[in-house]
Amino acid sequence: MPASQTSARPFHLLAAFASGGVLTIAVFINAEAGRYGGAMFSSWLAHGTGTIGAILFLAVLWRRQRHEAEEARARAGKPPLWAYLGGIIGAATVMLTSTSVNSPLALAGTLALGLAGQVILSLAADFWGLFGLAKRRLDLRDAGAVVLIAAGSLLIILFGVGAA
Amino acid sequence: MILPIVFAFTAGLFVILSRQVNGRLSLSTTPLLSSFWNHIVGFVFLSLLGAVIGGLIPAGLEQMPWWVYLGGTLGVVFVAASSWLITRIGAVNSTLLVISGQMVSGVVFDLLRGVPVTLWASVLGIALIFAGMALTQRRR
Repeated sequence: MPASQTSARPFHLLAAFASGGVLTIAVFINAEAGRYGGAMFSSWLAHGTGTIGAILFLAVLWRRQRHEAEEARARAGKPPLWAYLGGIIGAATVMLTSTSVNSPLALAGTLALGLAGQVILSLAADFWGLFGLAKRRLDLRDAGAVVLIAAGSLLIILFGVGAA
Repeated sequence: MILPIVFAFTAGLFVILSRQVNGRLSLSTTPLLSSFWNHIVGFVFLSLLGAVIGGLIPAGLEQMPWWVYLGGTLGVVFVAASSWLITRIGAVNSTLLVISGQMVSGVVFDLLRGVPVTLWASVLGIALIFAGMALTQRRR
């Protein structure tokens, strides 16, 4: 798998930034479900209603999705079995964070440490091309982006929101 | 105290792990199909776990606001977008840009809801984030 696209274009930036906004709203909504039935119920509900939502999207887009999937399979081959296990990892993530949020770390500490984990594994994943995705050469500008965005996020998490 | 620290850090690792794994599935299918599998497999796993542990579904479900049922569908959009992104701009770029969007929208959302926000830290944080985002837009 060649590293065909190594830098983010403006459209990618907007799409990723917007999906971060979608995540903010989703986390807020799922936290509301968690107030009624706890973190595991909230995650179960989100996965269940999400499955229904995905089926509705697929039903509407089925022709094109099937065509694209056939093309993708011809290009990249049959997916390895482990590629179907992302949902289990996601479900386990919820249990880990709900435990640590209820510890002295609270929400801010959980977010800050989670951010560290995300950045470190992303760097390793690009550097070695982990889990069947392309390798990406990292340079000083990547390092600069990591430092600036991590510093800005930590400022917001630790001193900006929720701390007041 | 060491255990919660390990848990919180591992959760961050898992966020990226699942994104890579879903991204790999999307390479052989589509981002939307990958998101579907992510959700149905997670749902089956949590249902089984709930059946073993018990007490998964709380009483008083009818008191929940109707919009709590929309979070899952937003999650589908997010997971599909993540797979689409990670296979195009790599893990570091997608992680940084998604976190950026999460942080900035989190501040705006809290301001709109009237939650107290420390302005200097939030504004400085957003400025640093925007500077970092500009750095991801390099020419090859």
